[in-house]
Amino acid sequence: MTTLAQPIQYKGKVIDFPLANPKEADIPDEELHEHLSAPSTDRTRRLKGRCRWKHASAGEFVEKGVRAGIERMRLITESHKESRGKPEVIRRALQLAAVLTKGTVVVQQDEFIIGYHAEDPNMFPLYPELSYMNVKDYLQSDYSPQPAAEAEEINNYWKPYSLQSKCEKYFDPVDLQRMYQVSSMEAPSFAHGYNSVVPPYETVLEDGLLKRIELAEGHIRDAKAEMAKQPWDGTKGLDWIGKIDNWEAMIIADKAVISWAKRHARLCEIVAENFETDPARKEELLEMGEISRRVPAEPCKGLKDAFQAKWYTYLLCHGIERYASGYAHKEDKVLWPYYQTSIINKSFQPMTHADAVEMVEMERLKISEHGAGKSRGYREIFPGSNDLFIFTIGGTNGDGSDGCNDMTDAILEGARNIRTTEPSMVFRYSKKNRVKTLYHVFECIRDGLGYPSIKHDEIGTEQMKYYSQFSLNKNGATDEEAHDWANVLCMSPGLVGRRKTQKTRSEGGGSIFPGKIFEITLTNGYDWSYSDMQLGPETGYAENFETFEQLWDAYKKQYAYCVNLVIRAKDVSRYMEGRFLQLPFVSSIDDGCMELGAEACSLSEQPNGWHNPITTVVGGNSLVAIKKLIYDDKKYTMKQLMEALKTNWEGFEQMQKDFKNAPKWGNDDDYADGIIKRYYEEIIGGEMRKVTNYSGGPIMPVGQGVGLYMEVGSRTGPTPDGRYGGEAADDGGISPYFGTDKKGPTAVLKSVSKVQENQKANLLNQRLSVPMMRSKHGFDIWHAYMNTWHDLNIDHVQFNVVSTAEMKAAQKEPEKHQDLIVRVAGFSARFVDIPTYGQNTIIARTEQQFGAEDLEYLNVDLSN
Amino acid sequence: MATCAECAFFFRVPEGEDDFEPGKADCVTEHKDQKGKYWLSKPVFEKTETCGNFRKRS
Repeated sequence: MTTLAQPIQYKGKVIDFPLANPKEADIPDEELHEHLSAPSTDRTRRLKGRCRWKHASAGEFVEKGVRAGIERMRLITESHKESRGKPEVIRRALQLAAVLTKGTVVVQQDEFIIGYHAEDPNMFPLYPELSYMNVKDYLQSDYSPQPAAEAEEINNYWKPYSLQSKCEKYFDPVDLQRMYQVSSMEAPSFAHGYNSVVPPYETVLEDGLLKRIELAEGHIRDAKAEMAKQPWDGTKGLDWIGKIDNWEAMIIADKAVISWAKRHARLCEIVAENFETDPARKEELLEMGEISRRVPAEPCKGLKDAFQAKWYTYLLCHGIERYASGYAHKEDKVLWPYYQTSIINKSFQPMTHADAVEMVEMERLKISEHGAGKSRGYREIFPGSNDLFIFTIGGTNGDGSDGCNDMTDAILEGARNIRTTEPSMVFRYSKKNRVKTLYHVFECIRDGLGYPSIKHDEIGTEQMKYYSQFSLNKNGATDEEAHDWANVLCMSPGLVGRRKTQKTRSEGGGSIFPGKIFEITLTNGYDWSYSDMQLGPETGYAENFETFEQLWDAYKKQYAYCVNLVIRAKDVSRYMEGRFLQLPFVSSIDDGCMELGAEACSLSEQPNGWHNPITTVVGGNSLVAIKKLIYDDKKYTMKQLMEALKTNWEGFEQMQKDFKNAPKWGNDDDYADGIIKRYYEEIIGGEMRKVTNYSGGPIMPVGQGVGLYMEVGSRTGPTPDGRYGGEAADDGGISPYFGTDKKGPTAVLKSVSKVQENQKANLLNQRLSVPMMRSKHGFDIWHAYMNTWHDLNIDHVQFNVVSTAEMKAAQKEPEKHQDLIVRVAGFSARFVDIPTYGQNTIIARTEQQFGAEDLEYLNVDLSN
Repeated sequence: MATCAECAFFFRVPEGEDDFEPGKADCVTEHKDQKGKYWLSKPVFEKTETCGNFRKRS
């Protein structure tokens, strides 16, 4: 039987919490989520049933038969050898063209949106031009491309040309070794190849690629005319050379893409005429063929066109031209014109709202099948998922009006129906958002999907305006464009639209680990618990810090060393990306690159620099405990603390309890919050923003967790917050350490709202009571909570609404809980695919109950 | 020696297509595994030597 929330006294009345849906009364708590999946059509039910998931668990692919393909590696290598002597950007375009014209194209049973990025739907491509270590990692695994000897030869060929080789020599080997430990800093992107991009989908859908080719051809004509002018001025005229090369590369890329789409069209036609026996499917295949003959060459005319053109663009930008995680776009805004055409006006590809929902479900399943050739390390940090695929909806339009529309609703309905972990979704919350859409948002959250995660619409918009002032070419976001943002990955806003979007993760992304940095601050920068090496500068031993300020300053120096090193590594990567890892297709679809003859990685119009502190609260709570117990109360000495930490608290059990019970973040405790506010604003954000990156703007912290709070937690020794060595760290950004927020949900909000300066974003995980959320008052409570969160000017919040009973049942019988989804950090995951260590961190999160005091503070109206 | 041109999976690229070349074709094969059916298309030429998937055109 379903557990109901206990009645509470509120405003002089006893409030009961009957289920919103009485039919759920007989469903046991332990299996609720297995009753929530409801694909809207037989087709999407079949597609989900046969989905070729690429989830990883503990670094291993969950489904058998998943492995790396060799085709992309082989084709780019042949092209690279054949194109010696040509400009580098042209070589990159020719490599893309080789993959698109000589590679395999795929069409699967039942699917309507077509296209894949490897030679078989069970495979994924590798990128030896990025990181030879990453490819080597696959060669040593069961997922190696075949034939393995050829793959090894290809990888060896690329070693001197790879981004990694080109960048490494500009770093002290000692610094590189420290980064490669991935305990105080993430390894540099030139070594791991992890990347993200925000494709300007709008130009593809609105213009079509034939138009982009025409633009580039026109620019080349104009450039040559400029070069021919007399008198010749070499100080200006030579600039056209690089631009002409870029435009030529764009044309090569776009022509190849059009041809590739038409190959898909031809495949659909051949299958229809030679293999398919069902007349209805034959007709559908011919329609699919017709669509791929039209897009992305021409502008999209209806919603089916738009989904298909968007998917081709996605594959090219995220899997074929270069690897990139993410799915950043403002999907409801991108699709809304085509929704209007097809559903409202029915003037092209007429369909119903229900048909649009089915399209959404099919797109979600395409993403779920998408394989990412990430290294083992990166598979480990996204347990229960295949990669970070995140898009954004809601918010406000350029004129400040509500950004929600019926496409927003279709996206939310489809996501709730089909229940897949990918793609995740961000909802930009504004008080202008219509209640109808908010209810759909709530339903997804209440059903335990973990998404949408919620971002504060106005904070994100103001942030785009702020960064705009640093634009190197004085062409950052206008006030109107500042409304057009989406999360680039889990947490950080970035512009979307026809230009000025982020093209490479060397602008923003990558992690730094304040928990570990705090640990080594106590030991003169030496890491005794994991790597057994000097990880940072020598800043003194904790026993010699006579004041809290000395400890503070040492920590600041250790943190600043790491920040400067990781941002330098990203900028060196960016420098090389613009010279050897150009993106001719991405360039061709960006209006800025097209206008200026610029390359996507090189051009920066809107700075958007950020880096992700992960495990911040372990450091913060440790500072609080030390100040309280050593410097203020003088209950213990630093020498005693260091002895206790060296033994992992063994023999110091009472001391561990005292440090564990010291004031903690997330309880609206002024003592703890005062120190932690200063820590976030002065060290985490203050030191980071001193750095200026490639784009000319400051770097700001985006606190989050991914799965690194587990990975790095396991590499972090015992810490003065009372944590044992190897235990997971805090699960994200500004979230309280699990189980230590004991004063209810509104106390958490009050604490978090105190940190306002020098932050770009901060992830807040909250776990809400299942019975309360599924009651008839669920929406009203959540809505009031969200409005309070908004009023407190908090950047982000996301929710788990899943019972401990169900998670524990899934641990016992995982095969019966395939649809149980949880929010880990900036992504959702299939619970049973998360290693037990990680599962236990989700279970340990405080399940927030709303008491009468909370409801009073939120001013919830429960009169109905 | 048999060539791709004699194979049942050989579908000539029609003139007028962007990637048309004399003798060029799509090699389209049907595959089936526990997840269902799918079709793959790879470019081949009529004089290419046959592969293991060769099936004589009837």
